[in-house]
Amino acid sequence: MADELKPDLELDLKGLLCPLPMVRVSQNITKVAVGGIIKATASDPGSMADIPSWARTTGNEVVKTERDGKNFVFYVKRLK
Amino acid sequence: MVTREEQDLAVKILDEKTNRQLLYYLDICTRCGICKDACHQYVATGDVLYLPASRAQLIRKVFRKYFTIQGKLIPSVVEATAPNDKLLEDLYRASYACTSCRRCMYYCPFSIDTTWFTSIGRAMLVAIGRGATILGELADAAIMKGENIDMFRDILIEGLKDTEDEFKARVGDPAATIPIGKKGAHSLYVALAGTHTILPMAIIFHQAKADWSLSLFEAANYGYFYGDTARAKKIAQRFVDEAKALGVQELIISECGHAYRVMEFLYEAWAKEKLPFKIRAVVDVMHDYIKEGRIKLKPGSLLEPVTYHDPCQVGRNGGFYEEPRNIVKAVAADYREMTPNREKQWCCGGGGGLVAESEFDTLRQVSGQKKVEQIRKTGAKVLVTPCENCRLQIEMLNEKNNLGIRISSMMDLVVESMDLPGAKPA
Repeated sequence: MADELKPDLELDLKGLLCPLPMVRVSQNITKVAVGGIIKATASDPGSMADIPSWARTTGNEVVKTERDGKNFVFYVKRLK
Repeated sequence: MVTREEQDLAVKILDEKTNRQLLYYLDICTRCGICKDACHQYVATGDVLYLPASRAQLIRKVFRKYFTIQGKLIPSVVEATAPNDKLLEDLYRASYACTSCRRCMYYCPFSIDTTWFTSIGRAMLVAIGRGATILGELADAAIMKGENIDMFRDILIEGLKDTEDEFKARVGDPAATIPIGKKGAHSLYVALAGTHTILPMAIIFHQAKADWSLSLFEAANYGYFYGDTARAKKIAQRFVDEAKALGVQELIISECGHAYRVMEFLYEAWAKEKLPFKIRAVVDVMHDYIKEGRIKLKPGSLLEPVTYHDPCQVGRNGGFYEEPRNIVKAVAADYREMTPNREKQWCCGGGGGLVAESEFDTLRQVSGQKKVEQIRKTGAKVLVTPCENCRLQIEMLNEKNNLGIRISSMMDLVVESMDLPGAKPA
């Protein structure tokens, strides 16, 4: 599992207001191969609902979320 | 390559969207060219595709091809064209690049509304799967949240905890809360995603002793930007249903120009129903609170020179010119007006969904130069504007052009000039 969550791309989205964190994840998802993982760190609490919603509707998957202080960390797996 | 089925579908959408207003616009344009000086994108780029009359001409070409005898018999003579790949590519650029500012409509001798054409263009493209991908994704994510709110309710409330703690500290009231799902509240406030438009309004509502509840949904409507009325209606319906369930008397839309326009001017026609509550722009609500003495601002407390940017959807398309100016002037020691302003103001270049579409980043920078010139001329150090898209765009212009200004929302400006018991955290 630890290997699976090794990110292929890290995005620092701190300071961006929603929906821009979701927009940046969408713009970058094709930069990782299918099965690859983006680690996105956002500071806007709106991203807690935005990014998982985006992942579900686009056929991708948020495999893990965690708090890092006041920031929100998402591991998004490209599924297609 | 576009298929015959896709062409038929695009034409079907055009047929469905054709009404008396469109026929009038198609017929009346004399191609006088006055609109060329009104469009910030054409003025900045000289690209004919951005000329408002050209944007309309793309729709006119297809209309003539399928719905006029001349277009069917002698298409090349009357500039009638099927929606081929070239036309659809042009339609994409002309429609999705348009910020829907409607400045051209103000200058047009016949008041032709270019957004009518760009909306139809977007709808035709969406129908054949050629819409702007990111706008569709944002719309679908918003709908998904609405359809699965039980899954997201706790997450959204959890995200508010830090904000609520700061709110209590700022107003010096440990019992203060951010109400959610409050039945019988007078107002339902629809903020933007995140908390940056929740904290300041919670403070303002608290100080004004307002009876309010916070919506679980965000105001922004990417279905509208996408050009899909069905999606746009679903997104707005999330908080319409919430407002009905709570029995509120008014729905307050945050500082989001297009969201206010959707709710005030479009939703009832889409839904074919009369809403049982009033729609209000938050800037109007704040203005009333100040006028009625429910909140007190410190006159002249903002010493730096301040200017105000009229968001197209709040000013020209929303009707609020003086209310926001009165608020700014109530706290600014040195207010400086941009020229031109009010109904003639230049669009900042970020509306219509463009701030989310990276393919138009360069166009946004170039077409924002009129706004850059205007801001520079004022010598202002602070710019206030009650629209999130405008703020994001002007922040980009500020950074790229070294304007050295601070950009503020109206609600942040109001809170900064209020005497609050608690200090602002460092």
